[in-house]
Amino acid sequence: MNQTVVSYLSQYEFYDHLLAFFGNNQGLLSFVIYMIFILIIVTMCATIGGLGTYAERKISADLQQRVGPNRVGPYGLLQFLADGVKMMTKEDIMPFTADKFLFYLAPLLALVGVFSTLAVLPFSSGFALADLNVGVFYLIAISSLVGVAVFLGGYASNSKWSMLGGMRGASQIISYEIPVTLSVLAITLLAGGMSFGTIVGQQKGLPFNWFIFHNPFAFLAFFVFFTGALAETNRAPFDLPEAESELVSGYHTEYTGMRFGFFALAEYIEVFVVCGVAAALFLGGSSLPFNISFDILPLQLLEFIIFMTKTLLLYYVVIWIRWTLPRLRVDQLMSICWKYLTPMAILNLVGCSIWIVVFNGKSIAELIFGGH
Amino acid sequence: MFMQLLFGLSALLTLSGAIAVLVTKNIMHACIFLLASLIGIAGLYATLGADFVAVTQIMVYVGGIVILMIFAVMLTGGKDFVSRAQNLLGLAPSMGNKWTYTVGLLVSLVFLLTNVKLISSIVKSHPAKTFGNEFPSTVNQLGHLLIKDHVLAFELSSVLLLGALVGAAMIARPRKQ
Amino acid sequence: MMSLASYLIISLALFVIGLAVMLSRKSIVAILLGIELVLNAAALNFVAYSRYVTNNLDGHIFSLFIIVIAAAEAAVGLAIVIRFFQIKETIHIDEATQLRN
Repeated sequence: MNQTVVSYLSQYEFYDHLLAFFGNNQGLLSFVIYMIFILIIVTMCATIGGLGTYAERKISADLQQRVGPNRVGPYGLLQFLADGVKMMTKEDIMPFTADKFLFYLAPLLALVGVFSTLAVLPFSSGFALADLNVGVFYLIAISSLVGVAVFLGGYASNSKWSMLGGMRGASQIISYEIPVTLSVLAITLLAGGMSFGTIVGQQKGLPFNWFIFHNPFAFLAFFVFFTGALAETNRAPFDLPEAESELVSGYHTEYTGMRFGFFALAEYIEVFVVCGVAAALFLGGSSLPFNISFDILPLQLLEFIIFMTKTLLLYYVVIWIRWTLPRLRVDQLMSICWKYLTPMAILNLVGCSIWIVVFNGKSIAELIFGGH
Repeated sequence: MFMQLLFGLSALLTLSGAIAVLVTKNIMHACIFLLASLIGIAGLYATLGADFVAVTQIMVYVGGIVILMIFAVMLTGGKDFVSRAQNLLGLAPSMGNKWTYTVGLLVSLVFLLTNVKLISSIVKSHPAKTFGNEFPSTVNQLGHLLIKDHVLAFELSSVLLLGALVGAAMIARPRKQ
Repeated sequence: MMSLASYLIISLALFVIGLAVMLSRKSIVAILLGIELVLNAAALNFVAYSRYVTNNLDGHIFSLFIIVIAAAEAAVGLAIVIRFFQIKETIHIDEATQLRN
């Protein structure tokens, strides 16, 4: 029932050779394959997170007509490695009055919460670590660990700036979880399942088969989801937890060196994950624009490239928004969530369910072009 | 093999987290240990094949209840409320003297043995089954059960949640003295 | 190792620890932590019985409702704690004596 990368590979011939090589030990072979793929995905996403900092600085420089980092490597591409080395060699300072245990725990919780979500991210139809049948739900649930981490980081530092940032972060994250989850629920209704395999599989073909163009409510749901996701990842214009101009640096004011690096890395990877989820839920994910009856490994690579293209385009939009829009106030943030986004999300959910009943689950394109 | 490992680690996390909640002096740490314990319970649900319940557990507890608890701790003064533990174990409260403890211990021993006797008949008649690694998805069946067999409880729970929401907002709202 | 008995033992231990937390702590929030542990022990029992004894999913439904009720209980309980703190400026359980006499 739960499709995994191992069960995908086992339909090929070389899997039998591998199995023979491991002395027909199914468990050991699965373990090795999982470990290899986890290593690949974690390394890739850590690199993307690092390159995210570079992209952010470079794009912001472009938007503000500056040059941006250009010293380390070609076009300054290796800047993130230099930053990483700098962070690792920095002195690890802990405030004297800090809560030692929680101070050490918070960055780790943030990383754990973000990296656990990578397990279900559908990079392609076969190259997803595990296609759980509660996939989307799992992703939303486990990523709420980040909220706890932000809060704990703010509390443990025992500094007023951090405390305010952590309080803001936690209230923001748990508030915006509601519109995000409701929008995801609308898509779950349309797809008829919570696993990413089901959801992406329903959107095969040209862009008008994507869920964003399925009906007007789903179109609206995409924007509600994207706005809510921006707020959940503490990105501008919702970056109140780390508002530099008011709170120094928010919940990670007191963190130095690699502990700060963990928070930053977690934030950038979470943005990547959120963009990937938006791409998979609304923009067709890794589905190919044409129908192919056979399945070979290079196709997986093509699907992977399609998925990454969509995700990174959304990533660009996130950075673009950050450097374009001004920051909101706290009361504006809360009123946007509770007075506008949540009612809209509920409307989308009800609208989608009525659409499914009235039009028998057909999309607009199917209604216009006669459908299948 | 993998399930055994998951079971062992989850059980360890659950019990050690719970014990840490009991013995820690710092209420903030207690909240975090409770979080560990609840995640361990989610792991135990996963070993039982209850995927939806496991994820719901993480969703509600990690994303909601533990954050609420930490909020309440912070809004009510933080870590000053240490239990006044002055007993021989250093963790039990000053609820009685050695006689009450002795009597309580004996009563709980008898109670435990009675319960073990009662439960052992169930456990013996249902020996450890060997399940495969394949778990059927419970999501569809749970949906049908919730909408068909248990629909009254389902709707009532939504009313309960609404009542709790309004009630909590009413109780906690700041009032002018 | 994985049998009904081991789940029941874990659940029993959780219940007892939760009870001890409820009895031994003086802070209202800590008592709520103990209540969560007790509720979880019950929910774990339901799911374990559902897998090993009844072979249907009614136990899952029960534990879902337990989670719902735990959420409602935590929200209202913490609201009461905050209100109590506004009035008494402490969350010590022994101070909650206004209804005595």
